[in-house]
Amino acid sequence: MKWLSISITTLLLGALCWSCNLEKEIEIDLPDYDSKTVVECYLEPGRPFQLLLTRSTSYFSPFDTATSDLLQNLLVNGAKVSINHAGVRYDLNNQLVIDQQAQKLYNYYNENLVPQDYTEDFELAIELQDGSTITGTTRLLPVVPIDSVVVEFEENDTLARVLTYFTDIPDQTNYYRRMLHHNSLDSLAMQDFTLDDRVVEDVIVFGTGYEFAVGDTVFNTLFHIDRTYFDFLESVDNAVLSNGNPFGQPSPINSKLEGTARSVGIFTGLSYTREITVLE
Amino acid sequence: MLKTYTLLLSLLLLCALSLTAQEKYTVSGSVRDAESGETLIGATVAVPAADIGTITNEYGFYSFTLEGGDSLQITYSYVGFQTQVRKILLDRDITLDVELGSGVQLDEVVVKANSFEEQLNSTEMSVEVITTKEARLIPVLLGESDILKTIQLKPGIPSGSEGTTGLFVRGGGSDQNLIVLDEAVVYNANHLFGFFSTFNTDAVKDLKIYKGGFPAQYGGRLSSVIDVKLKEGNNKKLAGSGGIGLIASRLTLEGPIEKEKSSFIVSGRRTYVDLLTRGINQSNADNEDYDPIPNYYFYDLNTKINFQFGEKDRLFLSGYFGRDVFGFDGDFFDFDFDWGNATGTARWNHVFNPKLFANTTFTYSDYQYNIKNRLTGFNFEVGSDIRDANFKSDFYLALNNAHTFRFGASVTRHQFSVGRLQAGTDDGLINFSAGQEFAALEGGAYFSDDWSVNDRLKINYGLRFSAFNNEGQTYAGLEPRFASRYILNERLSLKASYARMYQYLHLVASSGITLPTDIWYPSTQRVRPQRSDQVAAGFSYLLGTRYFLTVEGYYKDQQNVLEFVDGAQLFANDDLEQEFAIGKGRGYGVELSIEKKEGKLTGWIGYTLAFVERGEFNLLDDSKRFAQQGYFSPVFDRRHDLSVVAMYELSRRFSFTATFVYGSGDLRWLPTGRFSFGDVQGSDFEPVVPDYEERNNYRLPPYHRLDLGAVWRFFPRWGESDLTLSVINAYDRRNTFFIYLEPEFAEISDGGTAVSFPERIAAKQVSLFPILPSITWNFKF
Repeated sequence: MKWLSISITTLLLGALCWSCNLEKEIEIDLPDYDSKTVVECYLEPGRPFQLLLTRSTSYFSPFDTATSDLLQNLLVNGAKVSINHAGVRYDLNNQLVIDQQAQKLYNYYNENLVPQDYTEDFELAIELQDGSTITGTTRLLPVVPIDSVVVEFEENDTLARVLTYFTDIPDQTNYYRRMLHHNSLDSLAMQDFTLDDRVVEDVIVFGTGYEFAVGDTVFNTLFHIDRTYFDFLESVDNAVLSNGNPFGQPSPINSKLEGTARSVGIFTGLSYTREITVLE
Repeated sequence: MLKTYTLLLSLLLLCALSLTAQEKYTVSGSVRDAESGETLIGATVAVPAADIGTITNEYGFYSFTLEGGDSLQITYSYVGFQTQVRKILLDRDITLDVELGSGVQLDEVVVKANSFEEQLNSTEMSVEVITTKEARLIPVLLGESDILKTIQLKPGIPSGSEGTTGLFVRGGGSDQNLIVLDEAVVYNANHLFGFFSTFNTDAVKDLKIYKGGFPAQYGGRLSSVIDVKLKEGNNKKLAGSGGIGLIASRLTLEGPIEKEKSSFIVSGRRTYVDLLTRGINQSNADNEDYDPIPNYYFYDLNTKINFQFGEKDRLFLSGYFGRDVFGFDGDFFDFDFDWGNATGTARWNHVFNPKLFANTTFTYSDYQYNIKNRLTGFNFEVGSDIRDANFKSDFYLALNNAHTFRFGASVTRHQFSVGRLQAGTDDGLINFSAGQEFAALEGGAYFSDDWSVNDRLKINYGLRFSAFNNEGQTYAGLEPRFASRYILNERLSLKASYARMYQYLHLVASSGITLPTDIWYPSTQRVRPQRSDQVAAGFSYLLGTRYFLTVEGYYKDQQNVLEFVDGAQLFANDDLEQEFAIGKGRGYGVELSIEKKEGKLTGWIGYTLAFVERGEFNLLDDSKRFAQQGYFSPVFDRRHDLSVVAMYELSRRFSFTATFVYGSGDLRWLPTGRFSFGDVQGSDFEPVVPDYEERNNYRLPPYHRLDLGAVWRFFPRWGESDLTLSVINAYDRRNTFFIYLEPEFAEISDGGTAVSFPERIAAKQVSLFPILPSITWNFKF
């Protein structure tokens, strides 16, 4: 049977050679696209009101590489932005700010601090230069604490895993976002995902592989998020992951913003706990 | 219900018995292949002098009644077999089992004319048949013949994307096809993610697909019935066949257990690319930079035995078992993924009298997939399965030459395990699970009459009653069926049909590609059964003696079709149906085919013009979203579909085939816009978030391909063998398998710090097959 295996191998290799060059770039003519206004606003108690207002563009439109052009074409300026809460109106000025802590850029800002109030809604109102409007409503959620972080070294090895425990709030549907960073919050998150509490018991455990050594720092962050933010994040993930993937499931962005303007985005509170653990 | 059924049965039996007391006699029996003893389905049995003709049913049984006394000349014919004429004196009921010899045809024209004549005369419409002989001649991929893929060359049966076996018949979804193998349901007819079907051509007798005008004995799916019959096994001598191809080998053995009384057939095949990849992986085991190649193989096994007990009883036992196995073993990560079907059939044929024939069947079907992941102490398992146990009884009553009744009933118990998930660590610290279990009952009873109203008009009318129970919710419905044929002249017949179908099971498919992980889900209180109403009309025309033209138009309305909500969560979901949206569908089009079955050059040309739409979707869970408004075209909305198949038999030793297909490109849902997303502290800036708007807004480039094949036969003393050469995609067309959109990044240096930023987005097309030559050695003894 040696001849047979040689023949098969030869033919298979031949077929593989033929298989080269099966990918090529093509021109795609997509339907016309009307730009939308993109809103990002995260209300974090004890921090200023900040909002980023940008615009979407047609999918294949060229990217701006010069910073000035990029900002000019990306940012939506000249809008009237306000957030109402408990009878107080916070007007956000159209000014470019860099949040040094979060390392994020915003173009609407009010230096007042977001009150830690879990009982009343925050209402967003945006009036664009053309008179069209965008509105949204959200409420802060209570922080869900991390119960404990356990470091376990593998037997006869120097590498450890990290187990993060927290207790789900009973009798209600909860949504969470979990992040885990290695050594720095500015690094690429090792874990960043959302979950709801449908398939978990009261005590939830997040695990890692055996991949941390003594001296490493692990940043564990647990966001307690609302359904609107959960749906939005899921849809953004789905959209990014299914970008032409034949096995993917394309999905429009799930945004709950309302108003007369074509808009997409998120207006939500940000409640989280963060545990920093240094492995010893 | 049972009482009505019993009453009906008694009346029909009495009717049959009373008629036998008159001066009329019945000729009945079976028609078989003289070489193997296999029953021949659809063989023509005619008495020209009395202008009477019938065909053998799916069990090879025929029956007709005439006034006695005269000497009769009966003609038995079947495509590819020698016509046989028998003379009898009809002075009593006669059982006449006839065997037809294959080989050189004595009168090809007569045989051919008979075949087309039967198509012209039959009330059946929207039906396509592929024989294993045709399937063997037409290689589909890497030299492997595949009867299910060959049927896709017939009009009105567009497949899914390149290389796959998902069928989208007359605007139906890939879940709307009832695929039965020896009467047992096959839930996933795919190997290798759809590049091959589960049907081993060596073990299959024939395949018949109904696209509309469904006979009343079929139910449970909206769009098509694909009826695959396994061979029974040679009951005269031990025989074998097989083949060695580039990626798979197969072997079939068949023979008598007791000569001309009982026989067996065993057929298996397996791919062996994994043997090569394992060797490559082992030889690179010490290379740290080497990424192991995942191992993949599939195998399947068909077996069947049959016993004849006296002249009136036959028992058949058949089974199928197949698995696809995909695995990866790494230092830190193991992955095992297997899926497959198992079916079993026990069937009892009984001839009560020359007019009444019964078929009682018990079948078992199982389809499951399992995925097991292991990552440094963490295990993750997900799977689904569906198991059916079915019992049914079918009766065939040739009451007289004007009426042939069929009636019967069936009951099926379905067991579902949907989205079974188990995940956790080895030490049990982390452990969670999800999944749903269902046990449902489905039943049906039917009656139909093939009624020759006069020489020109023939009607097949029937009614099916179906019911389904799951979780205390019961659905039931009446499904009227109607088909008619009117012969205008000896060359032209007009046909029309109507059929209502209910479908109680739904396939939860996440993309346009048929995947093993697609989940079968039962109707529940909120998920109502799907329903379709299809009307079709057309004509058949005999062009000369060699060509047969068929033209059909159809309109199909569908209710309660399923789509997913936007961003549906399919895994780890204990309430999957909240991810469903329920809507409507409609499909319409025209199909045309010209066929030539006789002479050195045979083949067909098929063309379909089709339109498909879906819309008016409602949510089952109001908190979900289905942004698409109005009607839209599903991904498989293929406007034009053309296939040309030519088979040329140069001599006994050489034959050639050429197949050309052309189809409008399928649709894809592409983003029309994009935006950037800053996100919160700890997350990365995402420069390109696609903004998807209208569904399926981009049509892929047209698909076309030419395949060539040649068969060189040898006739050694021990039997026959051949070398089958094939060239798939002969002119190296780069058809689209999928496209993806990829942002390309450039490094921008700003004061010494390099920042990566998107420069452009490229659209890339990936093709699956270049020109693919292959060779297969087949043998038969």
